[in-house]
Amino acid sequence: MVEGKKRSRTFRRVFKKTPGGNTRKYYLKRKPGKAHCAGCGDVLKGVPRERPYKMQHIPKTKKRPERPYGGVLCSKCMRNKIIEQTRAVSKQ
Amino acid sequence: MISIGRMCVKIAGRDAGKKCIIIDILEGPFVLIDGETRRKRCNISHLELLEEKVEIKKNASHEEIKEIFAKKGITITDTKPKQKTVRPKKLRRSKLAQEVKTETAKKPAAKTAEKKTKAKKATAEKPKKTVKKEE
Repeated sequence: MVEGKKRSRTFRRVFKKTPGGNTRKYYLKRKPGKAHCAGCGDVLKGVPRERPYKMQHIPKTKKRPERPYGGVLCSKCMRNKIIEQTRAVSKQ
Repeated sequence: MISIGRMCVKIAGRDAGKKCIIIDILEGPFVLIDGETRRKRCNISHLELLEEKVEIKKNASHEEIKEIFAKKGITITDTKPKQKTVRPKKLRRSKLAQEVKTETAKKPAAKTAEKKTKAKKATAEKPKKTVKKEE
């Protein structure tokens, strides 16, 4: 009987070509879920989906969009939020 | 609503949430803006217009707009453009070894060259003195 991790589906299978031309199967841990907008729940773009040990070595500017609420809200929700804020201040 | 001197808030991109003033009205849906944001062309749909209006000339300079914002208590910090840093190139060990050889070979030649230049300087200085005397 093979190892437990090879029988269960907790590990994802990654096929990689070796320099010799063979394909080899690797058993890697699954990636975390995609980031979602806190406002509308849409999938966020520009937010990488990696395990923490890989996220450590990615620069901060590549982990989320470079705008206010980047990586938390999608661009549409961010736009609506800033409009709300400015109108609330101008009414006062 | 869209006119030169109108205060706005940018709602798209990395300058979102920052205040700016319309400086110029360009062709199509575009205007020129400056202020807390960078001075750049901007689509009207990326701006939230405010009721406030400021009297400025068309294509007012960045310093004029800075003063207007300073009166309102908003300080604009300008970022200096980065200067290119020249890094010493890394050479391979084999190339380094070659360079060392050539340097050692050049050194005696360089010394003679220095002597020559010194001699030239000495000759060059002499006529200058004579010129001064003439004056």
